[in-house]
Amino acid sequence: MHVLLIEDDELVGSGIRTGLELAGFTVDWFTRAAEAREALANLDSDIVVLDLGLPDEDGLTLLCEWRAQGLTVPVLVLTARDAVADRVAGLEVGADDYLLKPFDLDELTARLQALLRRAAGRARPLIEHGPVCIDSSSRRVWRDGLEVGLTRREFTLLQKLLNARGGILDIEQIKDSLYGLDTEVESNAVNVHIYHLRRKLGTGLIRTVRGLGYRLGDPGDLDSGGPK
Amino acid sequence: MSLRRRLLLTLGLSFCVLWALAAAWLYSDLRGQMRQTLDQRLAASARMVAGLVAQLPEDAWAGAAEPMLSIPQSSGVACQISSPAGEVLMRTHGDFAGQLDAPEAGFINRNIDGQRWRVFTYIQNGLRVTTADLLAERVMLQRNIVVVAALPFVVALLGSLLTLWFGIRRGLRPLEHLRSELARRDPETLTPVTIVDAPAELEPVVDTLNRLLVRTREALRREQRFTSDAAHELRTPLTAIKTHVQLASRVPADQMHEAMSRAEAGIARLQRTLDQLLLLARLEVDQAGNLMAQVNSASIVETALADLENRERVVMVEHDSNSVAVEAPHELAAAALRNLLENALRHTHGDEPVVLEVRPGPREVVFTIRDRGDWPAEQSTHNLTQRFWRHGGGQGNGQGSGLGLAIVATITERYGGALEFTARDGGGLVARLSLPAKEHNAR
Repeated sequence: MHVLLIEDDELVGSGIRTGLELAGFTVDWFTRAAEAREALANLDSDIVVLDLGLPDEDGLTLLCEWRAQGLTVPVLVLTARDAVADRVAGLEVGADDYLLKPFDLDELTARLQALLRRAAGRARPLIEHGPVCIDSSSRRVWRDGLEVGLTRREFTLLQKLLNARGGILDIEQIKDSLYGLDTEVESNAVNVHIYHLRRKLGTGLIRTVRGLGYRLGDPGDLDSGGPK
Repeated sequence: MSLRRRLLLTLGLSFCVLWALAAAWLYSDLRGQMRQTLDQRLAASARMVAGLVAQLPEDAWAGAAEPMLSIPQSSGVACQISSPAGEVLMRTHGDFAGQLDAPEAGFINRNIDGQRWRVFTYIQNGLRVTTADLLAERVMLQRNIVVVAALPFVVALLGSLLTLWFGIRRGLRPLEHLRSELARRDPETLTPVTIVDAPAELEPVVDTLNRLLVRTREALRREQRFTSDAAHELRTPLTAIKTHVQLASRVPADQMHEAMSRAEAGIARLQRTLDQLLLLARLEVDQAGNLMAQVNSASIVETALADLENRERVVMVEHDSNSVAVEAPHELAAAALRNLLENALRHTHGDEPVVLEVRPGPREVVFTIRDRGDWPAEQSTHNLTQRFWRHGGGQGNGQGSGLGLAIVATITERYGGALEFTARDGGGLVARLSLPAKEHNAR
């Protein structure tokens, strides 16, 4: 899952990035509102972590702008100001959650997971798709009750497909989720991950929509084609 | 007791007492006058009768054995004429046998048949004329006069009391407005009070009150803003510390060192912010303290440079080896200079030097700090001493607490100095701090 992190403080930002990467997120980090605005326009982020005290512009202005544009990406607001008015202001202009500094890294990742889950219309971290069962909080996957080991990117890809709920994802969207902006990606990298996922969980898991991208296979498709 | 009640009571009571005294005076005066007038009339009628009787021939009553009672009786007045021999010649009241006899001339009060009479006796050529009138009638007359005279008094008194009540009520209405306006408002409300038709006396009170309210509101807002900023400045390094400490236990061993050093950087920043905050708080509390302290300008420079990082980048230019005493506490003057130097060094990249020039003068000592830092030539310098304001938002050079220059400004102001910043052509900043010299203040 791709996180757009907007935090002006060098020390705090580097800490959050490392922490989120450890928790399996792909993170792109910006320190200026202008950069974040451009990034979100070009990038398909799954979730945004927004610090309110930005040097060039107020974080709330940025958030207002996004919501006015109709962007529905979940936004978690970070704030060091604890007055009720400050906390409420974020939620009122369209933040989905807020976290008061200083916070616990575990709490931050848990809240991000919860926001992603809710954005995908689920209330529980456990997802069942035919014989495949996924726990997004502990990042573990089972098929027919047997645990299957997935790499971080494979898991993210699976999660992204599940959250799309049968919708078609194009290669760019998948790339953004897996790699963000910074990494130079081989053109067939996504294909490789899809190949591995199919091999581990069954060919019916992912269906190729020619010319458009990929989508999650129906639960029934999985029963026929077991793992190779 | 309310002002209105007090005014009403004082003025009302004074009115009543004054009116009552005036009435009593009038009454006693009137009574005396009336008594005198009635007595005069009694005497005049006696003389008139005597005059009439004297016109009669000597033998008019010589043959009369019994008193002649020819005068028709009228109630309330009586008359008797006696001969020099003592015989009663004529009398109005036949039943007053001997009771109107008087031994000598003049007024006398007498009880006749249970009624009080005022009796006057006039003697002319041995002829005694006695006139009398009933005192009860006089009392009745007096009472009537009192009633007639007192009624306007009472009406006037009641009228003035009523006017007084209305006048005071009307006059004190703005005060009452102010009172109810103040009573109605929430103690937290700091909006100005508005009084319609405030009299001239009340205007300064309302003005002062409103100015005070505005000042309090501004102070409160500044305080809230400062608290919020301070919370932000303290929580941010704390977040960095917490995050990196948590990371240290999760990352692979080779990255642990980096996480710990970042946590330490956070601690250093937290400590710096705390130190500056405490210094600022002390400066604000200690309004008058240490005003008499003085310190040598050379010693200020020495202390300021002593615990400065990168002090080798500071180039000193001294004009006069003679050091001058400055009218400011040592620690604070040194802190001000150090903050200016730290700021210049922080915003100057690489090995670029910062020039410190000290110019002691007879009136003031001027410390000038020149840098070729990242301050754009055309940028206004008015934000520099604002609390928690950082050039460039603190990115890349985020070590500053955002309080350093605010502290310099506070110290300068406290000890009567001056502080000014000028953007340099070609980038960089000139800071000019002057502190009053001791000689200047000495008398």
